[in-house]
Amino acid sequence: MRAGRLTNGQFAWLLMLPALALFLAIIAYPLISSVVTGFFEQSLVRPGRAFTGLANFADVLGGDFWPVLRNTLVFTAGATIVPFLIGYALALALNAGIRGSGLMRGLFLFPWVIPGVVVSFLWLWIFNANYGVLNGILLRLGILDAPVSWLGEPATAMIAVIVTKSWASFPWIMVMLLAGLQTMPKELHEAASVDGAGAIRRFISVTLPHMKGIASIVVLLEFIWNFQHFDTIYVLTGGGPAGATETFAVAVYDTAFKGFDLGHATALGGLWMLLLLVLVAFYLRHETKERS
Amino acid sequence: MTTMNRRDALRLLGLSTFGVAALAACAPDATGGAATGDAAAKTFGFTSWSLNEAAQKAAVQAIVDAYAATNKVKIATASFPYNEYLNQVVLKLRGNQLTGAVQVDVAWLGALAAMGKLRDLGAQASAGGYTDVALSSGKFDGRQLGLPWTTGSIGLIANTELLTKAGVDGMPTTIDEFEAALGKVAKLGGGVVPYAAATKAAQLKDIFPWMQTFGSPLLSGDQVTIGDEPSVAAVEWYKKLYDAKLIAPDVDRFDARALFSQGKAAFYDDAIIARGVVASQSPDKALVQKMAPLSRPVLKAGDTPQALLWGHVIAVVEGEGADAAAEFARFATSDTATVADFFQKVQLPPTTTAGLADPKVAGDSFTTEWTEKITKTATANPFWRYAADAQIESAVAEQVQAVLVGNSSAKDALAKAAEAVEGLQK
Amino acid sequence: MTVTLPRPATLPRERVRRRLRPDQARSRVAAWIAVAVIGLFGMFPVYWLIVTAFTPDDRVFSFPPSLFPSRITLDHFADLAKNEQLFGYLVNSVIVSVITAVLSVVVSAYMAYAFSKFRYRGRKSLMHLVLASQMFPQALLLVTLYAVFSAVGLLGSYTAMILSFTTFTLPLCVWMLKGIFDTVPGSLMEAAAIDGASRWRTLHTIVLPLAAPGLVAAGLFAFVRAWNDFIFALTLSSPERQTLPPGLVHTYLGEFQTAWPDLMAASFVVSLPVIAAFMFLQRYLVGGLTAGAVKG
Repeated sequence: MRAGRLTNGQFAWLLMLPALALFLAIIAYPLISSVVTGFFEQSLVRPGRAFTGLANFADVLGGDFWPVLRNTLVFTAGATIVPFLIGYALALALNAGIRGSGLMRGLFLFPWVIPGVVVSFLWLWIFNANYGVLNGILLRLGILDAPVSWLGEPATAMIAVIVTKSWASFPWIMVMLLAGLQTMPKELHEAASVDGAGAIRRFISVTLPHMKGIASIVVLLEFIWNFQHFDTIYVLTGGGPAGATETFAVAVYDTAFKGFDLGHATALGGLWMLLLLVLVAFYLRHETKERS
Repeated sequence: MTTMNRRDALRLLGLSTFGVAALAACAPDATGGAATGDAAAKTFGFTSWSLNEAAQKAAVQAIVDAYAATNKVKIATASFPYNEYLNQVVLKLRGNQLTGAVQVDVAWLGALAAMGKLRDLGAQASAGGYTDVALSSGKFDGRQLGLPWTTGSIGLIANTELLTKAGVDGMPTTIDEFEAALGKVAKLGGGVVPYAAATKAAQLKDIFPWMQTFGSPLLSGDQVTIGDEPSVAAVEWYKKLYDAKLIAPDVDRFDARALFSQGKAAFYDDAIIARGVVASQSPDKALVQKMAPLSRPVLKAGDTPQALLWGHVIAVVEGEGADAAAEFARFATSDTATVADFFQKVQLPPTTTAGLADPKVAGDSFTTEWTEKITKTATANPFWRYAADAQIESAVAEQVQAVLVGNSSAKDALAKAAEAVEGLQK
Repeated sequence: MTVTLPRPATLPRERVRRRLRPDQARSRVAAWIAVAVIGLFGMFPVYWLIVTAFTPDDRVFSFPPSLFPSRITLDHFADLAKNEQLFGYLVNSVIVSVITAVLSVVVSAYMAYAFSKFRYRGRKSLMHLVLASQMFPQALLLVTLYAVFSAVGLLGSYTAMILSFTTFTLPLCVWMLKGIFDTVPGSLMEAAAIDGASRWRTLHTIVLPLAAPGLVAAGLFAFVRAWNDFIFALTLSSPERQTLPPGLVHTYLGEFQTAWPDLMAASFVVSLPVIAAFMFLQRYLVGGLTAGAVKG
C-alpha cells in the first residue's frame, strides 16, 4: 500500500473516492439533469425535446404547485408530529420502570419492520368503506351511525394516510427516544424531586432539555423522509380523491410516468428542490449560529 | 463542527452544478433508436392484463400454452393489473424491455403508436377474416397496429333479483325512471349500493356516456365541449346521486365487481366480460342467471341510448421475435376454434365473422341481448385519437371527483377540465 | 436484548416497590395507560392482518366483521405456497437488498472515516452536500435515472435497482457511520501510528473491527430501506426482476385487490423474514442507530 506517501488530505480524498464517484454518478448528475429537463418540453412516449424556457415552471406555478405544496406540508407535519408524540409517550412509559418493558420494546418494533407496501395494504383493508374493520368497530360502538368512506373523502383521506404513515414510523422514534432517556443521569431527577419538583415540572425542566439533541435529530430525519414519502399515498389513495392527498412525490411521479410529461414533472420537481434548498440554507445557518 | 464555511459550500455546489449541467445538456434519450433483435427469433414475450385477472387468467394461459406447444416457440408471459398497465407497458416499451405481443386497450393505442415501436399488422389483418368494425378498432393513423381480440362495449348491468326485491318492475328506460329505481333499491338497506358507479379517478371516465346521454358531444370537430350545459347537468346529476348515497364513494371497476358479486349492488358499469367475472367471484352461483344488460337510460323517451364502444387488441413490438409474435397474435384472435372456446370460458365475443357465427357464440342469449341493447348504439370515445387520451381522461376524472367531494361546482370544474383537455389535444 | 444500552429499571424490583412514592405510583399508572392505548393502536392492525389471512373467503365480506374469527382456514397459505412468482420476488428482494446494504456500507465506511478522522480542504462542504442529498427528491432523480439506465441497457437489471437504492442508502450510511467513527478515540490511531502501522492498516485492523457493531447496524438500516423501496423498483425493474413491493402491488392491486385474505396471507409471509432478522439483530440496530445520535 502506497498510502504512506500521501499527505493526510490526499489519503482522505483517496478514501472518499469510491463514494464520491457514486455520489456524482447516481445522485448529483441525475438531479441536475432532471432539473435541466424542466426547461424543455419532453415526453416519455415521443423522442426528442424542445427548449421552452420557463414555460413549464409558469404552468406548474399557475396550476398544481400550490395545492400540492399545501398537501405536502400537511402530510409532512402530520406524519412527523403524530408519530413523534406517540413515540415519545411510549418511550416515557417504557422508561418508567414498568415490568416487561424490554420485551414490549421488541414487540412494538413490529409495525416498523413490516414492509411499507404491506403496511399500506393492511390499512387499505382497515379503512375499506364497505367491509373495513374500522367502520365495523365504530358502528358497533355507536360512534358512527353510517359507514364512512375514509379514503373517499378529502378530509378523512388525508387523516388516513397520516395515520398509516404514523403507525409505521412511531416504533423507531420510540427506540431512539428511549435510548436517549436511558442515558439521562438519574441524579438529575432525584435532585429535582428533592427540591420538590413534581413529575410534570421534572419532565419540563430535566427531561426535555436532556432530550433536545436526539429529539431534534429524529424530527429532522422524519421530516426529510416524509417530505418525499411516496408508497403509502400511492397505494392508499393514489393522490386522490380529487387530488386531496397529492404530494410532490406522487405528483411528480404521476406526471412523469403516468402522464408521460417529463417537462412539467421535472419543473414541479425543480420547484420542490428549490424549496428544499431554502430549508437547507436555513438549517445550515441555524446550525452555524448554534455551533459558533 | 466548529465553523461552517458557507463560501466553500457554495463554491463547491457551483462548481459541480456547472460541470454536471454541461453533461446534462446532452441528456440521454431513452427512446432508443431502431428496434434491435432478431425478428425471426422463435422466442417472444406476451404481456397481458388478462393474465392478472382471475376470471380470464387460465383461459389466456391455455391459448399461450397451446400455441407454444404446436408451433415450437417459447412465449414468456408477463402481466400488470389493468390500472397500472399503460404506465408499466410504456416504461418497459421505452426501455426496450418488452418484446413480442402486447394486449392493448383500444383507448391506449394512440399513446403507444406515438412511441413508434409497434409493427404494422396489415398482412395478418387481411388474412384473419375480421369484421370491419373490429379491424377499425385496431387502426391508428391508417396503420393496423393491433389485431382485434374482442370488440364490444361498456354498458350497464343489473341484478334483477335485487330489483324485484326492491319492487322495481321492468328495466328503467329514462333517467327519471332510473333514479326512481335507485331510490327503491336504497330502501332495501343492508349496505346495498343502488348503483356501483365509478367514483375513483381510475374509472371515472365512465361518466362520459352519461354526459353524452345529457346531450354533450364531448368533442365537436376539434372543439372540446366538456363544460357545456348538458355535461354540467350530467355531473350535477351524478353529484345528486352521490349525495343521496345512491352511488358510493371510493369505487373503481374492481370494487364495483366485488360489490355486485356479493349481491350488494343493483347496477354497475362493465364490459361484457362481467358475466365471467361475476361467475368466478360470486359466492352465489346463481347470480349469473340474475344478471341482465340494459340500455343506458335516456334523458327523454325516444333518445338513442349511449354506450361506450370498447375492446382490446393484440399489438406486436417491432424487433426480437416479432414475426412469430405477429403469427401468434393472428392465431389468438382469429382461429375459430380458439376464439369460440375462449368465448365459452370468459364470455368475450370474438372479432371474426366466422367466430361470431360459431354456434357457441351465436347461440348465447346474454351476448345477443348485450349486442342488441348496448353494443348496437355504442360509440367510440372521441378522445382516443389523441396520444394523450389517458391524461385527458384523468384530467376530466379529477375535476369530476372534485365536484363529487364538494370542492368545486360542476360548472367551474368542467371549465377547468376543458382547459386542461385543450392543452392535451396533440 | 440490549447490549449497548443500559437496561431500564436497573434496580431490583423489590427495592423499587418499597421506595415507591405516591407520584411514582401515579406515573407508573400513567405509563401503563399509555402502553395500553398505544399498544391497541400498534398491535390491533397486526392482529387484524393475521385474522384476515385465516378468514375463509365467504366470511370476508360480512359486515360488520366479527373481531374473533369463528372459523379459520389455511387455504390462503396453501395457495400462496403454489405461487412461484411471489417466491421469485422474494429472492429478488433478498439479492438486491443484501448487495445494496453491503455496497453502501463498504463505500460509505471509507468516506465516513475520512469525514470523521481527517481535516482537509472541502471536507465540511462535501459533508453537508452528502448529508443534504438525503433530501433530494427521489421522484426527481428517478426521471433521469430511468433515462440513463434505459440508454445503457441496464433497465430491468439488478444493477439498476442496486444503484438506484444506493442513492438513499449511501448518504444515510455515511451519516450513521460518521457518528460511529466519532466515538472511536483518536488516541488509538496515534498509538498505532507510533507502533509503525500505516494509516491503511490502522483503519482495517484497529478501527473497523472496533466499529463492527456500527457497520452491522448501518448495513441493517440500509437493508431495510432497500427492502422497502417501492418507487425505484416500480419503475426500474422488469417483470422477472421485480422486488416484493412492486411485485405485491402488481399481483394484488387490480382484479385481486378484493382478495383480502390472500393479500393478507402474502403480506404476513413476506414480513416474516424481516421480522425474524430483526428479532435476531435488534440489539445491533438499536445500538448503531443511537450511537451517533445520543451524544446529547
